[in-house]
Amino acid sequence: MIDSFAWLVPLPVVLPLIGAGLTLIGSRDDRFQRVVSLTVLGLVLAASAAMLVLSHTRGTLAVAVGGWPPPMGIALVVDRLSALMLVTSTLVTAGVVLYAIGQGRSSDDETDAGSPLPIFHPTLMVLIAGVSTTFVSGDLFHVYVGFEMLLVASFVLLTLGGSVDRVRAGVNYVFVSLLSSLVFLLAIALVYAATGTVTLAHLAGRLDALPEGTRTTLHLLLLLGFAIKAAVFPMSGWLPDSYPTAPAPVTAVFAGLLTKVGVYAIIRTQTLLFPGDRLDTLLMIAAAATMVVGILGAIAQDDIKRMLSFTLVSHIGYMLFGVATHTQIGLSAALFYTIHHIVVQTTLFLVTGLVEWRGGSTSLSELGGLARTAPVIAVLFFVPAMNLAGIPPFSGFLGKVGLMQAGVEVGSPVAYTLVGVSALTSLLTLYAISRVWGRAFWRRPVSAPGALERVLGSGASAGGGVGDAPGIGAAPTPRVTGEDDQPTGAIDTGVDDLSLRTVPRGMIAPAALLVVVSVALTLVAGPLYEVTDAAAASLWERTPYVDTVLQLERAGVVAP
Amino acid sequence: MIVLLVAHLVAALIAPVLVARLGRVAFAWLALAPAAAAGWAAIRTPEVLAGAAPTELLTWVPSIGLELAFRLDVLSWLLTLVAGAIGALVLVYCAAYFEEDEPGLGRFAACLVGFAGAMLGLVTSDDLLVLYLFWEATTVLSYLLIGHRPQSRSSRSAATQALVVTTFGGLAMLGGLIVVGQRVGTYRLSEVVATFAAAPIAPGDTLLVTAVVLVLLGAVSKSALVPFHFWLPAAMAAPTPVSAYLHAAAMVKAGIYLVARLAPAFADVPAWRWCVLVLGGATMLLGAYRSLRQHDLKLLLAYGTVSQLGFLVVLTGTGTPDAALAGVALLLAHAMFKACLFLVVGVMDHATSTRDLRELNGLRASMPVLAVTAAVAAASMAGLPPTLGFVAKEAALAAYARADAADLATLAVLVVGSMLTFAYSARFVWGAFWDGPARNAEPTHVHAPGAVLVGVPAVLAAASLLAPLAAGPIDTALLGYAGVFGEPHEHLALWHGLTPALGLSVLTWLVGSALFAGRAGLERAQDRVPEVPAAEDVYRRIMRGLDRVSLEVTGASQRGSLPLTLGAILVVFVALPGGVLVATAPWGELSLRWADSAAQVGVAIVTVIAAVAAVRARRRFRAIYLVGVTGYASAMIFLLFGAPDLALTQVLVETVSVVLFILVLRRLPGRFDDEGSRGARAMRVGFGVAVGAVAAALAVVVPQARTAAPASDGMAELAVDYGGGENIVNVILVDIRAWDTMGELSVVLAAATGVASLVFLHRDNVARADRRVREMRARRRRALGRGHRPADGTDGTGGRTWLVGHEVHGSGRHSTMFEVVTRMIFHVVMTWSLFLLFAGHNNPGGGFAAGLVAGLALVVRYLAGGRVELRSAMPVAPRTLLGLGLFLSAGNALASMIASGDPLQTWIFDVPVPLIGKVHVVTSLAFDVGVYLVVIGLMLDVLRSLGSSLDRQIEDEEHRRAPSAPQPVGGRP
Repeated sequence: MIDSFAWLVPLPVVLPLIGAGLTLIGSRDDRFQRVVSLTVLGLVLAASAAMLVLSHTRGTLAVAVGGWPPPMGIALVVDRLSALMLVTSTLVTAGVVLYAIGQGRSSDDETDAGSPLPIFHPTLMVLIAGVSTTFVSGDLFHVYVGFEMLLVASFVLLTLGGSVDRVRAGVNYVFVSLLSSLVFLLAIALVYAATGTVTLAHLAGRLDALPEGTRTTLHLLLLLGFAIKAAVFPMSGWLPDSYPTAPAPVTAVFAGLLTKVGVYAIIRTQTLLFPGDRLDTLLMIAAAATMVVGILGAIAQDDIKRMLSFTLVSHIGYMLFGVATHTQIGLSAALFYTIHHIVVQTTLFLVTGLVEWRGGSTSLSELGGLARTAPVIAVLFFVPAMNLAGIPPFSGFLGKVGLMQAGVEVGSPVAYTLVGVSALTSLLTLYAISRVWGRAFWRRPVSAPGALERVLGSGASAGGGVGDAPGIGAAPTPRVTGEDDQPTGAIDTGVDDLSLRTVPRGMIAPAALLVVVSVALTLVAGPLYEVTDAAAASLWERTPYVDTVLQLERAGVVAP
Repeated sequence: MIVLLVAHLVAALIAPVLVARLGRVAFAWLALAPAAAAGWAAIRTPEVLAGAAPTELLTWVPSIGLELAFRLDVLSWLLTLVAGAIGALVLVYCAAYFEEDEPGLGRFAACLVGFAGAMLGLVTSDDLLVLYLFWEATTVLSYLLIGHRPQSRSSRSAATQALVVTTFGGLAMLGGLIVVGQRVGTYRLSEVVATFAAAPIAPGDTLLVTAVVLVLLGAVSKSALVPFHFWLPAAMAAPTPVSAYLHAAAMVKAGIYLVARLAPAFADVPAWRWCVLVLGGATMLLGAYRSLRQHDLKLLLAYGTVSQLGFLVVLTGTGTPDAALAGVALLLAHAMFKACLFLVVGVMDHATSTRDLRELNGLRASMPVLAVTAAVAAASMAGLPPTLGFVAKEAALAAYARADAADLATLAVLVVGSMLTFAYSARFVWGAFWDGPARNAEPTHVHAPGAVLVGVPAVLAAASLLAPLAAGPIDTALLGYAGVFGEPHEHLALWHGLTPALGLSVLTWLVGSALFAGRAGLERAQDRVPEVPAAEDVYRRIMRGLDRVSLEVTGASQRGSLPLTLGAILVVFVALPGGVLVATAPWGELSLRWADSAAQVGVAIVTVIAAVAAVRARRRFRAIYLVGVTGYASAMIFLLFGAPDLALTQVLVETVSVVLFILVLRRLPGRFDDEGSRGARAMRVGFGVAVGAVAAALAVVVPQARTAAPASDGMAELAVDYGGGENIVNVILVDIRAWDTMGELSVVLAAATGVASLVFLHRDNVARADRRVREMRARRRRALGRGHRPADGTDGTGGRTWLVGHEVHGSGRHSTMFEVVTRMIFHVVMTWSLFLLFAGHNNPGGGFAAGLVAGLALVVRYLAGGRVELRSAMPVAPRTLLGLGLFLSAGNALASMIASGDPLQTWIFDVPVPLIGKVHVVTSLAFDVGVYLVVIGLMLDVLRSLGSSLDRQIEDEEHRRAPSAPQPVGGRP
């Protein structure tokens, strides 16, 4: 062992896997599953937090699995970037698990809720293990293993309950993911063929030595595989088609983690494997296209979940932009923005789950008046939504400012264009959100479909009455003034009757917790930026990472 | 300053609680926050006027230059006083204005107090980014306040409009600020201004000039200048106190503040000057002109505000000491009279329920105090002595009265604007209080407003009237700001003597009176003049266009079609890595060996034929077989390269896959349903060939670049010495790269549970399974209670017959012979699988292959005897096997870590066992057992769901012979 704390490194993978085994064995016992899940997440969170502190203060942690030194064995490496991602993803997942527990079993419809099926917990554990695997892996092939884990687990979660549209979404998802895996696998095989190693630290040197054409080909191939995962345009079409149908906690986890795994891989590729600025312009163009096409998609949506899925795609562009600036501040801001986006996007999907629970739908044409009927949910939605739109003082703004500064620093025409595009995206995000706010929260309640039918029915009968006896029909006609929304019979007093289900505290509290976390990001932005700055510096430098792994190699085979 | 900001924040947070507890009186308490701000500024007056600007600094995010820096110089001091005092007054006014049962009052109070805080932060911040922070905060709070009564569609769209327009400007400004900040190297506002004041921007510095214009764009949109003026009148949907505060005294002044703040740095930039003069002048005229034809008093004031904002921007942006002095004086005057007038309108609205000046008649008699208040404020607006408005306007006219042509043109605009201002001011007072059109002579019915409602505007009007008495001290104070530009020629005073400015003022009064007298004709004339293409229409058109574009782009890029999504990815694959490969590969120097042996060629040909035939197959069954052939062919290739272990595993996997596919096929139509048109198929073929060609080319070209030695060198020796096994594949799987294996185990686990959840956990199945489990448990309890052990080979459910297939299957569905033979070999096969498991470390085999063999044994049992047979062969829930397997392998990792080794470290022991001799034990065996269990679990799980569960569904359907369509199978896409 190199470092006396290196034993922490495998924990974020091992613990969830043990948890997956245990929760599956005990899948008949709800409480057991919950206890195991939460314990595992708590431990992983503690380990990740400890590693964040250690990697920041003492340097990169690394361990050779099974005592087999790289390049033969697998090196697990945790630097600041990995640790940051681990902490954020675990924190967010813990919130989601609490939410799913709060949601509980819904007795009437086991296909709908997130946690009724006994496989939710084990599968989620595998997902977490997969995400962690990607973050700690110092081995290209092992990254692939991580991708496989989260791919299969996410497919299972996506099709929970097996309703027709979920299965359709799942099939879409699995096809695209498999294609991405295939591209990645091909890339790994070729990388090994060309360099004779899959240890990232070795690749850092050996890829540099390749002829330029081969190197660029491999670079593009890897980026393609990761870009599909990260939903970069034009490889983004799968995301909005597959995420929104899943149960709220599942979508929330996906939104927070899966695309960010792709982003993480892109960051590693750009900094560790191919640190020259060879494809930065290409990445910038992709970033701009992702932002614009994504946010236009968000504006065109009528459903909150779909809208959020499109903002998810769109804002991936920001992170890409930061990486592509090839500056320390740009990368640092991209890391900051990634963390921000994980928290905020997850939170918004959870809150949308609350909206769905409360209003019976996530379609804007069926929602209304939530600001009055559900003020708590309204606040819980508004704060992260403004955060997403990059309204100061929230973290989205802080990240965006860093990115724009980086763009200005680069100073090329493409970079200036991207600064403009990111401002425009911000504006359009705000517009998309104000549409949701105006319709779902402000507008007079439209009432549930059933109620609407009732109103239409009564209107029709009233109309008949008017036809028969014009004098009498005047009485129940609803007041229609061009100004106000047309009352649909569910005016004022009717509103309360329509408040369909009260949302369990167990769901509100975790959502609120994540909102608090997202706001807290603003408060701790100073230290956080300090960490991302240092992370970005050492990522561009490469040596802290590479040296730590090479040290393992020099240590050679360690006798047990 | 930071303490005050926190106080505002706290007040905003507790506002909903306070309002809920105390009702509307809470507003009076909340007024303490802005009052404290104003009071604090008042206390610091001597210090500020002496030129020592108090500062505060709190580090926040130094990485991006974001520091909570605050600074109270004269300009900030003035605006703090104005915003704080008027904020406090408006809040007090609110306490009387709203009904107790007004919905959403708590939120409203929070937003209003929060707004006061944001305004305080905006005018005192000394950091460009913090300034922007508060800038946007006012925008968002204004959005919420305008939408206070969100049931009305116009209120909602006005809120959105204000939000979009001001955020648009705000983001442009942010871009400009960042360019400026990066250029100067600091975001400290005072330093930036000082830098540019010392070294003005070179005209050729396009980037910086653009940045300055962008910043100005923010100010222009915020202060509702042409072409963004339209949002302000629409924002009048907000409750009147909001209009008084945000849209007259505070928020719209933010733009003016920014212009005034940056003028010392940028006023010399031609682009700045032109923008300021042209936009400001145009706004002044347009606003006043529009105001003349409004009937709604609030809209009249709103357009008046637009006009005055244009005036203010001209003054503050010009960059001469006289104009600057007049500008800040007018800013002060405007805040007083305009807030006062809005509050007056609020009282009238409250008392008469209308704001239409055609309907209001003779309110002078019923509300005399209010009438006088309004008259004084309107006099200040019109620039009549002895009000502060007059003083300021005199100074403004004087500032342009002595210079070049551009100044004179500006002066002309200001004079014309002032004439119009006089006219609409008169129209306001006259229409509201003195008279209405004769057709309705009846005075409007009034219920008396309370003392607070009348008192608050009266205070503001009194201030307008009394301030000129202190013209001298005010002049001295404001010089602290205007002095930056140099020594002004004129000072603020009521009486300068008979100056040209006074003459111009008299002229404005005369022409203004004439315009007022001829107001009826003027209105008619305005109606006849065709509307200028209104900016609001442009906005609407842009937003509609945006919506349309978004729909079109999304419709084109997001069809929801899987082939399209995949197609996009493959196009990129072929174009980018493929393109670069074709362009750069050293095609001439490739050394290529086509084959090592004839056998390889044969296998390759078989593979190609099978693959092509599989694609062409129209029947699913055939396609699966052909895919199977390619799989077996791959196994052959492995074998030819000398990897029996891989070949064995590949064969097993292929066999299992084919069996499972066929199980599923029972529920699918025999033929593929989607054949596609000829063109579509040709395209798919093209795609496939292109992608395949690129992949093949990659495989040929890339390996040629290798120079370094591969990682596998020396692995074989170490596998024996360090891994303790002769079979390198197994050592790789369970030791060297066991970490990979562990991950893949979890993949298997997840996949197995996923299949189960799709097929088995279908609603009906869940209920049935629960029932069955209960029954089984009950039966077992009974059995145990009798002390009866279940017979070997059964799970205790039947316990009587050896061959259980009979119980379920009717005759003809199974073969007794097959069943018996299966029973005979089952244990042999299971033993063989155990052998593979234990021998695997040194010979071909290992946990994975062993698990597959055991799984195949189960398959055979199932095929022979159906699901009952399967259950009796393996009376364990698959999830238990899966969970236990993963627990074992992951637990192994944890255990070896605890034993102070690395995770998944292997220990080798040679344990002496009596009778057998020395047994070579490698701890990685435990890991391999985990693999074994997981694989068996997977097989069992898949057999149960795809086999047994589908059986049951099929039987159920046959049983029912339902006339309706077959029950949809959960999990089938």
